[in-house]
Amino acid sequence: MTVGQISSVAADRPDAPASAGRAPAVGGPQTSMTARRHRAFYMFTSPWIIGFVLLTIAPMVYALWLSFTTFDGISPNWKYVGLGNYRELLNDSVTWAALGRAGLFAVTSVPLSIIAGLALAVLVNRPIKARGLFRTLLYLPAVVPPVGAGLAFKLLFDQNSGASNGVLTFFGFDAVGWLADPYARYVLLMTVLWAAGNVMIISLAGLQDVPRELHEAARIDGASAWRTFRSITVPLLSPVLLFQTVTGMIASVQTIMPLLLAPLGDTSGITTVPQSNYLYMMHVFAQYFALGRYGYASALLWVLFVLILVVTGLIFKFTSGVVFYNVDPEAKK
Amino acid sequence: MHPRAGASLSRRRFLALSAGGAAAGAAGLSGCALQVSTGVSGAGETITVMVNSGDITPEQVQQAKKDLGIKIVLVRYDITKLIAMITNGNPPDLVRGVGAVDAPFYAARDVAEELDPYFARSSVLKLDDLDPVNDLWRYDGRTQGKGPRYGMAKDFSQDSMYWYNTAAFDKAGVDHPSETEPITYEEWLEKAQRLVQRKNGQTTVFGGSYGGLTRATLMATMTASAGGSLFNDDFSRVDFTSPEARKALAWYIEYCRTKVGPSLIQPDPNGWDGPTYQAGRLAMSNSGYWMGGMIYPDKKLAEVSRLAPAPLFAGGTRISACQGGTGLWMPKKAKNKDAAWRVFEWFFGEEPAKARAGGGWGIPSLKSMRSLMPAQEDYQKRVLKAQENELKHFSVVSFTPYTRADAVDALFNQIAPAAMNGQISVDALAGRLNSSINEQLKRGKEQVG
Repeated sequence: MTVGQISSVAADRPDAPASAGRAPAVGGPQTSMTARRHRAFYMFTSPWIIGFVLLTIAPMVYALWLSFTTFDGISPNWKYVGLGNYRELLNDSVTWAALGRAGLFAVTSVPLSIIAGLALAVLVNRPIKARGLFRTLLYLPAVVPPVGAGLAFKLLFDQNSGASNGVLTFFGFDAVGWLADPYARYVLLMTVLWAAGNVMIISLAGLQDVPRELHEAARIDGASAWRTFRSITVPLLSPVLLFQTVTGMIASVQTIMPLLLAPLGDTSGITTVPQSNYLYMMHVFAQYFALGRYGYASALLWVLFVLILVVTGLIFKFTSGVVFYNVDPEAKK
Repeated sequence: MHPRAGASLSRRRFLALSAGGAAAGAAGLSGCALQVSTGVSGAGETITVMVNSGDITPEQVQQAKKDLGIKIVLVRYDITKLIAMITNGNPPDLVRGVGAVDAPFYAARDVAEELDPYFARSSVLKLDDLDPVNDLWRYDGRTQGKGPRYGMAKDFSQDSMYWYNTAAFDKAGVDHPSETEPITYEEWLEKAQRLVQRKNGQTTVFGGSYGGLTRATLMATMTASAGGSLFNDDFSRVDFTSPEARKALAWYIEYCRTKVGPSLIQPDPNGWDGPTYQAGRLAMSNSGYWMGGMIYPDKKLAEVSRLAPAPLFAGGTRISACQGGTGLWMPKKAKNKDAAWRVFEWFFGEEPAKARAGGGWGIPSLKSMRSLMPAQEDYQKRVLKAQENELKHFSVVSFTPYTRADAVDALFNQIAPAAMNGQISVDALAGRLNSSINEQLKRGKEQVG
């Protein structure tokens, strides 16, 4: 028992003198219980909080400081430039083009992967034979590390020796330069869809939460399968779909997959990414590690952070009327 | 109000404690880092060496411990990690570097140790035994190749040379290039176009690769070969619009556009020429003597492989530069310099150097070790003869101290594909390269001061 606990116990005793642990003026046992619960809460969360402060807040503050400088990591004469990097960013056409591509990638890849994942979830939620096996197989690509997946896709879509062109040429078609513009963007989308098992598994959990009696009632009322899906399943899945939209959007603008598909997947090769796959994070990576512009790259990251916050806020705002939360609104009170 | 024992932990107090914990944690982490950096954590002396895997083998680490009594801790080379370690005042004791491009960069930023005093007192590494390639590691504050030494090459090649496969030439009915007299770049491209084999839109055999060690050194070297200089006198600007640089740029864009070999718009999934050449799918490979290390163990391949001189531009100068000169340098803030120097001597002048010289993976950087280069087989003698002839044309092409070659490559890779795909002209490309690379050089110059 710690000193703090002994004091606390002493303070709980009704006959304890006021000096013993300075008993609280109000409350008594109730307050002490609350204090213990608070303490337990903070003790349990403190490892995460300390990690969060050390590994997230501190680097973010450091990056914010860097974004006001010309620091390049090694040169002696870097200087404070105030908002100079942010002003440069506003006039940097490469930055805006990369941001535009990242936005386009997000608005295509996120809906596509959600639709694909949901469709797979509906399929494997049906009472079919070997359902467990199908669920495992469909989820399997999602557990392959991105580096391995990138290498596999590079080999699969290589113009001269890839299996995809092997099939095309077998049927008499000409080979396609999949990993170069303008096709590289489609390969990138395929890498996202390939890992749709992630979305599937979450959607499947959501589907299994939909009360069966609602579907039965709809069937008795003569609703078609599509109508049941549209009017019952989707509304009840809407919180899950919102979650997937928000996390998918955040992940998609931060994807590093284009680098893994690039001819040279290292620091010097960052800009060998075909232009259609040169997304915002590729640009950030290039500024940091190829050009050594730590200050400017930090400004780019902070702008992205703020943009993600704004877009997430907008998603919540515009979906507030269509997302169905299966909880009692009065419960909060 | 004093906090009391057993009182509720307020949010404010909790955050204060967390901040304290975070600070203590940071100090702890920092303490750990310092402990590693002292290089004296073991019983004997310990040094940290940042290299690529294979530069120093685990067996050599054991050997160093036995022969020198020095423990080598290997850290995998990573530029971001290196910069973080230098910034924290906790650099490795020896670091891998590419002399042709890294020496002026680190020397100008005053992070590399001058090694002249160490060379002066060394009985292993004598100045008159150093091959001229080691001058790539000299920098006088203005020009590469002069002034104090900051490092040394472990071995080298003349990176504008190329290997060719006689079987591929014979199959295509193309004359073999001379092994002693250079052909022109135009002839090289014409041969590559005749050698390339395509079917259904796929390239089954590449005519040739020509990409240099980096795009930055390739352009600088080719411009020098055309009789000009890519950089201005103080290396603070590039000019791709000069007739010589434009000639080099136009040739390289034409090479990429015709897709006779791997390039940004037709990448080789292997990432380098070795496996493609070995598979007989590359007729000419722009690689120097070092690729013999990969070719010799495959006798069948070695017998049809020839090493040819660096091409030149019609009417241009015959030069054959080393674009690498990869070796080691010592950071100024290295903690254990004497032990690091002893390992430096051992790595460049003793057993590891002899093993490298005999492997064919490069020309030794000590003249006294030339006799160890492989020359047992006829094909090795033939290659050695071509290489010895080429050494007469060795030259140093200086690089700018104001940016890393990676940065120039990054900008080049970003802009050039449009020209390779025929979307912009070579002149437009030259203008864009000037604009973006000069901006990078300007920033670098401001930072160096």
